[in-house]
Amino acid sequence: MAERKKEIERSAEEIVESFARAAEGLPKLKETYYNQETCNVSRPDGEPSSEEERTEFRKRFISIMPGSDEKGNLRVEVAKWVEER
Amino acid sequence: MGRGTIEKLGAIQQGELSATENVQQALDRIKKLDKKIKAFIELNPNALAEAEAVDCKLKRGEHMGKLAGLTIGIKSNINVKGLRATCASRTLENYVSPYDAEVIRRVRDAGGIIVGMNNMDEFACGSSGETSSFGPTDNPVAPGHIPGGSSSGSAAAIAAGMCDICLGTDTGGAIRNPASHCGVVGIRPTQGLVPAHGLIELAVSFDQIGPLAPDVYGAALMLETIAGHNPKECTSLDSPSVNYSDKLGIGIENIRVGTSSKFSELTDSAVMGVIDGAVEKLHDLGAEVVEVELPNLEKSLSAYYVIMFAEFFSATRKFDGRKYGRRIEEVCGDEVLRRITCGDYISRKDQHDRHYKRALQVRTLMRREFGEALNKVDVIVGPTVPKLPHQLGTKLSPAEMYAYDYLTSPINLAGICAGTVKAGEASGIPVGLQVQGKVLGEETVLRVMRALEAVK
Amino acid sequence: MRMKIGLEVHEQLATKRKLCCDCPTDYREDPPNTNVCPICTAMPGAKPMPPNVKAVDAVIELALMLGCEVVLDQPIYVQRKHYDYPDLPAGYQHSSTPIGINGELVGVRIREVHLEEDPGAYDPVAGTVDFNRCGVPLVEIVTEPDMHSPEEARRFLRQLMRVLDYSGKVRPEPGTLRADTNISLEGGTRVEIKNINSTKGAYRAVKFEVMRQRALIERGAVIPYETRAYLESQMITVPMRMKVVDFHVIPDPDIFPIVIDRARVETIRKRMVEAPHQREQRLVKQYQISQAVAGVIVSERELADLFEAVAKEVDPKLVATWFQTNLKKVLNYMKLRATEVKFTHKQLAGLLRMVKAKRITPEQGELVLRKLVEQPAEPEELLRKLGLGRLGRAELSAAIARTIEENPKAVKDYRAGRKEALNFLAGKVMKLTRGRADPREILKFLSAKLKGKKKRRVSRRTKRSK
Repeated sequence: MAERKKEIERSAEEIVESFARAAEGLPKLKETYYNQETCNVSRPDGEPSSEEERTEFRKRFISIMPGSDEKGNLRVEVAKWVEER
Repeated sequence: MGRGTIEKLGAIQQGELSATENVQQALDRIKKLDKKIKAFIELNPNALAEAEAVDCKLKRGEHMGKLAGLTIGIKSNINVKGLRATCASRTLENYVSPYDAEVIRRVRDAGGIIVGMNNMDEFACGSSGETSSFGPTDNPVAPGHIPGGSSSGSAAAIAAGMCDICLGTDTGGAIRNPASHCGVVGIRPTQGLVPAHGLIELAVSFDQIGPLAPDVYGAALMLETIAGHNPKECTSLDSPSVNYSDKLGIGIENIRVGTSSKFSELTDSAVMGVIDGAVEKLHDLGAEVVEVELPNLEKSLSAYYVIMFAEFFSATRKFDGRKYGRRIEEVCGDEVLRRITCGDYISRKDQHDRHYKRALQVRTLMRREFGEALNKVDVIVGPTVPKLPHQLGTKLSPAEMYAYDYLTSPINLAGICAGTVKAGEASGIPVGLQVQGKVLGEETVLRVMRALEAVK
Repeated sequence: MRMKIGLEVHEQLATKRKLCCDCPTDYREDPPNTNVCPICTAMPGAKPMPPNVKAVDAVIELALMLGCEVVLDQPIYVQRKHYDYPDLPAGYQHSSTPIGINGELVGVRIREVHLEEDPGAYDPVAGTVDFNRCGVPLVEIVTEPDMHSPEEARRFLRQLMRVLDYSGKVRPEPGTLRADTNISLEGGTRVEIKNINSTKGAYRAVKFEVMRQRALIERGAVIPYETRAYLESQMITVPMRMKVVDFHVIPDPDIFPIVIDRARVETIRKRMVEAPHQREQRLVKQYQISQAVAGVIVSERELADLFEAVAKEVDPKLVATWFQTNLKKVLNYMKLRATEVKFTHKQLAGLLRMVKAKRITPEQGELVLRKLVEQPAEPEELLRKLGLGRLGRAELSAAIARTIEENPKAVKDYRAGRKEALNFLAGKVMKLTRGRADPREILKFLSAKLKGKKKRRVSRRTKRSK
């Protein structure tokens, strides 16, 4: 397992380095972060979604949680800094 | 099976074939073939019931959508409420989707019947279909060879006649590559044309959902069903709707078709021979063939991968095993872990500029080069994949595997559209012609594809 | 030992919907994981909706109120800041690049103001998460390390909270503040404290942390750079043992950048609420009132609004005195906030005009004011209802005369030089007049009469009773 991880890390490093070399010599243009040159796409504040819609989702969400309590909280780990005390 | 999409729709509308019969045939065929091909991960238990509902409506003469009664396969990285969107990974093995992707809503509204979830490369990380945790998909038309990827199950399902149309996703070629290897039709739409809500991302800024179909008409029909603005997504394009399927037969006289010497430099001669033949046919059909410059085409690949690594790393942070599924690093396959490792590294503060930012600069360069080339022509045509599919189980290095994407990933980097249609065969294996169009140039791309298809 | 304290203050913005989805932001009464959807719980494949424009405008407005320059005409990216924690369903938090920079509040420099999303509520002890608040828009205000004691930090936070309350742009419910605090002592290392949820908490956490670090430094120990959590119940900080993380920050490819132009800023500036610290200074200048009074007046926005409306109609200095003492007293007594007051500024101005014209005494005025707060009505009407009305001179003289007649001992005492007897007599007059006379006037006339009685008793009396 550790060996597998090491091997993957080694190949990752190799790939990243070769890709960095591939870009050498190309012009330094402005970066393109987005496919469209668009800005300020926003939506207005307004009435929230319907309760039915959320209730239906809640049921499905809780059913796929690995753990939940009776109130509907997602059950996860206790914080490390609490455990140690 | 065996008839084209138009004929099948006609049969359903005329009452010669019921939706229920169509679904039953699909299920039978899947049952018969899929043990070997592995095109599906899960079937929709309600498919027959949904088909009966469609039949009822048809009998009552209600207005039905464009896909009424057709059987649809969905790539396992698209959310279909109640079915598992596993991404072919142990990470999401038990993730039963609590919501419908926007495209699924549109497919349902159009009367399409979802038969099941297709196999794929794990989290779309692969170009061969071999990285699936549920086993590799076989190529139905070239058995023993890879079907291509990452929409491997979708292309194979179409090629094997298991369903009528599939929805795949294309981030660096994942629709076009398997379409080429399986001899089917695939479209990667312009970035933002098809809503992405519900698509489990490989790299958000490159991902597009698109159709795989047995013929250009089927692909066009599906595309016009799912395309169009979704105001609830930031990056969804607000473009006018187009009826692509109405305009397929116009022909290509006087259309300017670009080719580039770069393509032959990067492509095996066996593949190139088939492509050259197809270009010749287009010329014979009245298209004007023009040479265009794509001087840095081969530099796209590295930039594509770097940006994808960074976005993939980011996208996989939610798979922490707390809310659903299992923690990705603990259960995923090698290629997924490799990409996460790469992404982790290059988006670190101290590496960001050298790798990520640099790749974004190359992206600008590619957009410019394709923009300039497409100013001179209507479409650019060339091969889809530089080589023929390898035999299943052949050991390839990551670099060799990535090389499959040399000709498809530039399109994702440039944010434009492209489609693949069968151009012929080399050694009995299909070879697809890639038709690359302008931003929102799908109509022209489909016309060219249809023209070539009609020659055969 | 010198110390430097810097703060990163988060407060929820008052919108109806979350930043990137349509779930409601008011969740306090709801069971866990009720106000959630695929987007704010980071279901695989869910894409954010375009950001809520009201949240963006609110951050611009708060930046202006804190004296910031708004970042103009260049992309402000909504970024993904990655870290692995149970409260963060996507594994990253949306956090914008600065919207405002280089501000200042009570001598503390504001480094930047930006937009963020609230994570879910993680109960570290129970090990449970509720995502109801996940995705609610937040403003984050980052200061320079310009505070040098726990007291300064507390003072700054109080001032900041006043600005935020004033703006009307943050959620009005208490307990939504979160203040990450950075502290470094001279010769030490910067330590970050999280999990601070109140001004008091910040003060105590800093106090504890200073003590702890000082003890370490004095022992010659090295303070490691670390993140600690404040435990409210025990008033101490403990190490969180978080790995030093690189946030792998990238602009969110799903959300287009925000670009703010001058016109948008000016529109917001025009409708924007004046910040309390700026208003305080203006009131001092404009109405010629003391800093202390102005401070009281601006403590609540509605109080200051009321003051300015009334000060337009009546002598501002009188109004200011009344706000500082009488009104504040009545409101405190009745446990009311200025925003809950129902009477109109016209009614209050009417009352104060009567006081100014000496139609009624200040004491009567206060009685009317109390009534005004309880059951708003025109002051004239309240006056009638209360049976008040200023005493005529004749009536007062008669009451004084009667008091002198009836209390010969006190009169004698006073004349013998026992000053306190005068107060006793004045009290008797007050009683007789049922509080309708001005105590100052009573004293004045009473003492005059007592002195006069000796000398020109008759003549004065005759003159008066005319």
